[in-house]
Amino acid sequence: MGSVTSSRLLVPVSESKTLRSTVEHAVRQAVEHADESDRPASVHFVYPCSQRLTFERESESESEEIRTARSLLERVTVWAEEDRGDDEEAVTFETAMVGTREYLFSPSDYADALVQYARKHDLDLVVFDPGFNPLGTTPLLPPLENEVRRAGVEIQEAPVQRERRTPLLVRRATLAQFLSLFAISYGFYLLLAGSFAAFELATGAISAGIVSVALWGISLTTPLKPAQAAVRFGRFVLYVPYLLWEIVKANVTVAYVVLHPDLPIDPEMVEFDAAVWSALPVTTLANSITLTPGTLTVDVSRRHFTVHTLTPDSRDDLLSGALERAVRFVFYGRAAARIRSPLERQQTEDEE
Amino acid sequence: MTPTEIAVVVLLVGGVFFAVVAAVGLVRLPDLYTRAHSTSKSETLGAVLALAAVTIAFDGGLSTIKTALLLLFMFITNPTAAHAIVRAASEQGIEPWTTDTEEDQS
Repeated sequence: MGSVTSSRLLVPVSESKTLRSTVEHAVRQAVEHADESDRPASVHFVYPCSQRLTFERESESESEEIRTARSLLERVTVWAEEDRGDDEEAVTFETAMVGTREYLFSPSDYADALVQYARKHDLDLVVFDPGFNPLGTTPLLPPLENEVRRAGVEIQEAPVQRERRTPLLVRRATLAQFLSLFAISYGFYLLLAGSFAAFELATGAISAGIVSVALWGISLTTPLKPAQAAVRFGRFVLYVPYLLWEIVKANVTVAYVVLHPDLPIDPEMVEFDAAVWSALPVTTLANSITLTPGTLTVDVSRRHFTVHTLTPDSRDDLLSGALERAVRFVFYGRAAARIRSPLERQQTEDEE
Repeated sequence: MTPTEIAVVVLLVGGVFFAVVAAVGLVRLPDLYTRAHSTSKSETLGAVLALAAVTIAFDGGLSTIKTALLLLFMFITNPTAAHAIVRAASEQGIEPWTTDTEEDQS
């Protein structure tokens, strides 16, 4: 199964816990293939719609399912671009919805829709997410895989861990992660020690060793990609002055409010879903929110933020999403910064 | 006074000012959540300005690097600590103070 490689992949997507790793697997495979063969690879992410779209519905307003599909495909694209890195030539991404003209019930309906799409776009491998299950309770995947294989299209199940009830804090880590953690701790130790005397070198090696053995599987959960890290660091350097300026503004506001005789505050809890996805960007955003004008992150679960705001002005600032956009710019690049602000997202939802 | 000394004094005065604001806020603001605003922000900037003054005063060398690192960690740990406190309060079910609460009481 692992030996099958292809430069044109079809990845059916639906909401699932293993989707993130599946995307990563598919993109990595495409990138490797593009490197080997020197030909551009292409990954198509396809959302099968179980409901048919009638003409009236299309013209009226988007159905619930289409909205879910759109936002899922949008998210998948950001993930894929993150995994691909900066080599935009090598791998291209397409997203699509299939089955918009019919109702999909059985595995063979899904298989037909997928195979049809694969033929039309000349795709030769379907990568399945083990958690792919648009039908809800009925297990769909094994019969679906059989049907697709029978239709003459290669299939592959992404080798990702199936979902667990509680995510593990400690994950499997590679030797490279161990070594990078060791190098970082050792370097930091020597920086603080400020000398390369034999004593410092020895104690540093011991400390760094203990740190990396203990925290091996926790602190660097994904392999360090030097190029990507460098790009992010560069963007982060751009982000720091902006953040500092916001902090200064925050403090002047808070100082004004605190020292004002009437104490003009109007605190309120605000909740919103941020458009950032993995642990580090979410942490950065949460901390940045806490540091900036009259806002304080109370709780975060996955992407759902609960924020305590001190004044109405700070609420407006928060929901206009400038900070969120800046954080997205740091981690995902300029394209992702254009995603709409929380306020606009909320408004669209209200209108519908 | 040399320009360096002026910079140090300005930064120190700023640091003290924001530290005082943090303390005043702690006393004046009505509940835990709003007080956390005052401590997480004003306190951070106060400490950071003071450390920046120290960085300049040391005038290069290893101590500067160490203070700069300390500064960086202030930015990471202060909001995290404020977040931890507020989150614990929220999980205990402590209701945030609003302007409505005040009207009810009076």
